[in-house]
Amino acid sequence: MEQIIITIALWFGLYTIVTLSLNLEYGFAGIPNFGRALAVLMGAVAVGGIVNRILIFAFGLSGDIIVASGQARTLANELIASNPVYGIGLFILCLAIAAILGAITGALFILPSAKLSEDYLAITLLAISEVAFMVCNYNTAIIGGYYGVSIPDVLAFVPGEKRMVVFTVITVLIALFVYLFIERLTHSPYGRLLKAMRENEDIVEAYGKNVMMLRIKTASIGAAIASLSGALYSLYSVNVIATSFSRVEWTFYPFLMILLGGVGNNRGVVVGTLTFVTAKILLTMYKHEITDFLHLPFEAVWLEYMMFGVLMYLILLYRPEGLLREKPIFTEPIKKVIGRKVKAAE
Amino acid sequence: MSVVEGAIVYSNLLVLLSVGLTMTYITTGVPNFAQGSFAVFGSYISLSLLRLYEVHPYHTIPLAFVLGGFLGVGVYILVLRPLIRREASIVILMIATLALDLILLGIIGAYSDFLAGLTHRSATRFIFTPYDFNIAGISAILFTSTAVIAISILALFILLYKTKFGVALRASMENPDLAEVMGVNVEYTRLFSWFLSGALAAMAGTLLPFRQEIVPSTGAIIIVSIFAASIVGGLANINGALLGGYIIGFSESLLTYNLSTVFGTGVLLYSKVISLSVLVVMLILAPRGLTGINWRRVIWSKSSSP
Repeated sequence: MEQIIITIALWFGLYTIVTLSLNLEYGFAGIPNFGRALAVLMGAVAVGGIVNRILIFAFGLSGDIIVASGQARTLANELIASNPVYGIGLFILCLAIAAILGAITGALFILPSAKLSEDYLAITLLAISEVAFMVCNYNTAIIGGYYGVSIPDVLAFVPGEKRMVVFTVITVLIALFVYLFIERLTHSPYGRLLKAMRENEDIVEAYGKNVMMLRIKTASIGAAIASLSGALYSLYSVNVIATSFSRVEWTFYPFLMILLGGVGNNRGVVVGTLTFVTAKILLTMYKHEITDFLHLPFEAVWLEYMMFGVLMYLILLYRPEGLLREKPIFTEPIKKVIGRKVKAAE
Repeated sequence: MSVVEGAIVYSNLLVLLSVGLTMTYITTGVPNFAQGSFAVFGSYISLSLLRLYEVHPYHTIPLAFVLGGFLGVGVYILVLRPLIRREASIVILMIATLALDLILLGIIGAYSDFLAGLTHRSATRFIFTPYDFNIAGISAILFTSTAVIAISILALFILLYKTKFGVALRASMENPDLAEVMGVNVEYTRLFSWFLSGALAAMAGTLLPFRQEIVPSTGAIIIVSIFAASIVGGLANINGALLGGYIIGFSESLLTYNLSTVFGTGVLLYSKVISLSVLVVMLILAPRGLTGINWRRVIWSKSSSP
């Protein structure tokens, strides 16, 4: 039971980071980012591809990335176990590199939107993300592809049985921080500008705002945040396997969570994420019981796909606004104005 | 199979898939992300008949055509029409086709496990090349795929340009509102295009295992090439799908092969990168595709400039 709750909390943290970032892009700015998985993958590339190479270089190891990372992990784990500062430093380094790589990727990735309408843009973003996934999966020289690479355990100084709890707490804290950051970011003139852009780009342009710059900024913030999740996931599982950064897991499910919770409403997105993650983890935990009970002649993962596909469709059909509706943005000056009006009415 | 043969076969199949995608895009305005899974649906029809009744995959083409067509119509009536009636935005419709793709993946995957249980042979990974034969030293798949594409395209063009229904169809593609005013039932044309889209995709699916290995998630891999083909040609024009299918098909197989002779076999992994690059370059230069360019104007401006 305790195990289930911790797993749900961990995935809730990881997914909340991704869904909040997607909500910023799709819910607020109206960018149909069908390539969210790319930013998450970049987080994994930052840890498995860049930090690992730095470590390999620092330890003076040689050989191909898969073998050398295994050796680097052993050496790094010993170092971290002897002095926690190394672990904390490495952790911060990983997140920083992931955020930078994510921001750059996001900014480049949105450039085709300059000339494209919504549908063409969505196709292009999906195609870019899908191709990047295929390349990382089949080319074993980047992050080990489908073989995967080992990652040092940044919590090597924590006793084994406590490790998962500690990591979950850190992940949830980071998710909380991301929530506060995005809440602050969107409850500002910038947030209203994003919503204005979502509703009508021409008007925003007519008021002298550069829509393209705004899109680049938003996509790069969103991607930087989402790649934190990829880095955290890699650090948690102490290895990176490109296969686990698929479109279903990191683009489709995040969309499902924000549509379930409420597009353009950060609180709603958190509720949606918690609901979805709970359902998914319970389904994964009890998959053998479910297959046995229903006498399914197939694996439970297919049932999961069918169920979540149908759920998504039902949301689109019957409740496109989600569990919690979008609310207007009240910035500080507006709150004052409203307060004055209320007083005047009294 | 030689490289050129492979390239032609692949391009033929890509044309079948992108013609369907373009048709449904023109009539309903939705880019269908489940088009790849429509093809895999066809592959599994052939596999089932082969494993259960030992029917040669070539003989399953007509059945795949009909069942694929029903799938297409079913998708339109059950999934997209209710959303269109509620005036859902295009992004919502696209998310719906992504959801549909996932549902189809689930159904196909579940069916593959079920089929494996029935025949005691794995069905999650299969290829038909051992069942192919040679005609005068050339593999039969080259003839079959070329015949299928020639017959389908010929029939489609006769329908579009020589029949009354074709006139109505083209009219409702050009301007649905005006066509409706003139008494054309736009709904029929939508149903027809979804039937054809599903049918052509399923036919392509029966032939695809002769060229590459099929897994339940193959749809997700080929969708990039299908979209690239449709967009390069121009999503608003059926002829564009023909043109784009061959451009992408050939560049993906022949260009990659030629590059691999220079840079080594490592390049072969990057075949999809090539179709993506062609797609992005095309979108930057001419977002409306090759058929969307006003060629007369291009030529005229070139000849008139000093």
